[in-house]
Amino acid sequence: MAEITFEGVTKVFAGNVTAVDHLDLHVADGEFMVLVGPSGCGKTTALRMLAGLEEISSGTLSIGGRVVNHVLPKDRDVAMVFQNYALYPHMSVAQNMGFALKIRGESKDEITRKVAEAASILRLSEYLDRRPKALSGGQRQRVAMGRAIVRSPRAFLMDEPLSNLDAQLRVEMRVEIARIQRLLGVATLYVTHDQIEAMTMGDRVAVMRGGKLQQVAPPQELYDRPANEFVAGFMGSPPMNLLRVRTAPAEGRLALAVGAQRLELPRAYEASHELPTDADCELVLGVRPEDIEVVDEAGSGPTLRTRVERREALGAEILVHLALVEAGAPSSVAYDEDVAITRPSVLVARMAPQARVGVGDVLNVRLNEERLHFFDALSGVSLARGTA
Amino acid sequence: MPRLTLRRRRQLAGAVFALPALVLVLGLIGLPIGQAVYYSFTQWDGLTSTWIGPSTWTQAFHNPNLWTALQNNAWLLLAVPFALGFPLLIAMLLHQRVVGWKVFRSIYFLPTAISWVVLGLVAERFFAYQGTLNSLLHVVGLAHVNTNMLGYESTALSALGITFVFTMIGTNTMLFLTGLATLDTSLEEAARIDGAGRWRIFRHITLPHLSRFIQLAFVMTVIALFSALFSLIFVMTGGGPGYATTTMEFLIYQTGFAQGDFGTAALYGLILFVLTAIVGIIQLRLIGSDE
Ligand SMILES: Nc1ncnc2c1ncn2[C@@H]1O[C@H](COP(=O)(O)OP(=O)(O)OP(=O)(O)O)[C@@H](O)[C@H]1O
Ligand SMILES: [Mg+2]
Repeated sequence: MAEITFEGVTKVFAGNVTAVDHLDLHVADGEFMVLVGPSGCGKTTALRMLAGLEEISSGTLSIGGRVVNHVLPKDRDVAMVFQNYALYPHMSVAQNMGFALKIRGESKDEITRKVAEAASILRLSEYLDRRPKALSGGQRQRVAMGRAIVRSPRAFLMDEPLSNLDAQLRVEMRVEIARIQRLLGVATLYVTHDQIEAMTMGDRVAVMRGGKLQQVAPPQELYDRPANEFVAGFMGSPPMNLLRVRTAPAEGRLALAVGAQRLELPRAYEASHELPTDADCELVLGVRPEDIEVVDEAGSGPTLRTRVERREALGAEILVHLALVEAGAPSSVAYDEDVAITRPSVLVARMAPQARVGVGDVLNVRLNEERLHFFDALSGVSLARGTA
Repeated sequence: MPRLTLRRRRQLAGAVFALPALVLVLGLIGLPIGQAVYYSFTQWDGLTSTWIGPSTWTQAFHNPNLWTALQNNAWLLLAVPFALGFPLLIAMLLHQRVVGWKVFRSIYFLPTAISWVVLGLVAERFFAYQGTLNSLLHVVGLAHVNTNMLGYESTALSALGITFVFTMIGTNTMLFLTGLATLDTSLEEAARIDGAGRWRIFRHITLPHLSRFIQLAFVMTVIALFSALFSLIFVMTGGGPGYATTTMEFLIYQTGFAQGDFGTAALYGLILFVLTAIVGIIQLRLIGSDE
């Protein structure tokens, strides 16, 4: 067991591809750290550098306080679960799980005991004599886990271990992996591009983009206080609505121009956010789909007038795509579906399935005034105070 | 009509589809074998055959040359490990991209592309008393170790074996490289993380993966050894000195074509066929037991 520290770790591949760019990340002992980001952002590369499978171009990487930049994989004492599991095809499940112990020179009895123990944790006891070929996808996945846990390594590295499983099995294994990790208390770096895995499994989540670390925070904090527009848009499904707006202060009150409509903001944002005080400054307003509700005409708080463009029923909830109704435009214009499809919907709202909304309806929606987000229009950085 | 299980039906369909091929194989292999058996009971000079009964069989086994040839074949089997080992080593080095791998990759296959007759000529020049080997020894200051491997009964067979190993390098290396290319690199990486060093990875990951390819190479090499050495022997030694490099294959040629005793030659052919078949069957057993 040990902590893991990336300090300015950079990986430049031949041909000048910078896959990981000055990564600073600390995984505490026993912590479950999830690394998320879109495809090609350098997650696998970061993991492979930690495993010792990839040379580090610059920076320092340490495990348990010891710099491992030039330490061979076999001497790092970390275990890795591969996306394709990489089970040894000619070995039985038991031999697969015991391979590292055998290499280490442990006695036969010891190996048998440890393998049996891990197999019972993973519910694999009845498959120990089988070859990987004769196992289902979920069972193979568990063998790959088993191979990692029998070693009691200093760290677990997992690269999208669930991505080859079907949806149901994935939910099951998600819980299982998190449970086993807590049980063993081994520092874990878990790579995924599935944000549900990121939200549910990690103690903390690190979001990467284009080789650069965007934010590291506990899942809820990441969701509630995204450090920038990218994180805001990446976490959450459907993602946060991001609107380009302009400041339009009047009589000392904060207000925004959203298209042709005015949006009054509560005073509290002056203290909590660094909002521009001048008029006509561009910025990005973020609203989560669940923070939008339908209100009567005379509602108080920040409200927008919108028309329903699309309605997606997901069973437990519906997603309502809304377009701003331009002030002055007659709201009784017949609904034109072709136009609605080509025009991007401006807002997506999450509502209860009972909500009586139909395509073409004009609605007044109120944004949850306590949960608005603001980002710099150019850099995308959050304007909230206290998040650097 | 009785209902057939899916398995039965599949087997039946398989048999039906295999029938034409089976007929062809039986025709092309079974017929000549039958003929060979028949001729082994006759006196045949190439034109007319007269039935003489099993006398060829009793005489043949008293012919010391047959035993010499069989012995030579057995000795040559010692070349097989080298004909597999060197290509395995070369393939591993090429696979790991040692310095100069690109150059070597383009030349290792050359011997395979050249006719064995030419290779035999080159080898003959190499081992000859005034040949390349002695020149090389001279250059490195070992002029007093004058060799004449093809000239002595004790060493001619070794020279033949060495040449054979050389001729097999290209094919076997290519076979092993193909095997290595199909090895999932993440297995090797998993093993590295599991703590295995180079040797352990080779022993526990690479070698088991290559086992099929090695078995195939083994069969091909043994069969080549028993039945494709003719051109090398013909060019390099003519079976001599004495009978030192006469293998079964070469003996068949000598008996049939040089001495005109086709009946006996047919019998020798049968013996060689049985020997080759035994190797093949043992090999099939080994492969079969793996699954
Ligand atoms: N061996 C390599 N040589 C050159 N470039 C590479 C190599 N491996 C990865 N890259 C590049 O580095 C970048 C990061 O790749 P990486 O595999 O780490 O992405 P990832 O975040 O794991 O993506 P995914 O979610 O699709 O697995 C990509 O642009 C990729 O093309
Ligand atoms: Mg990846």
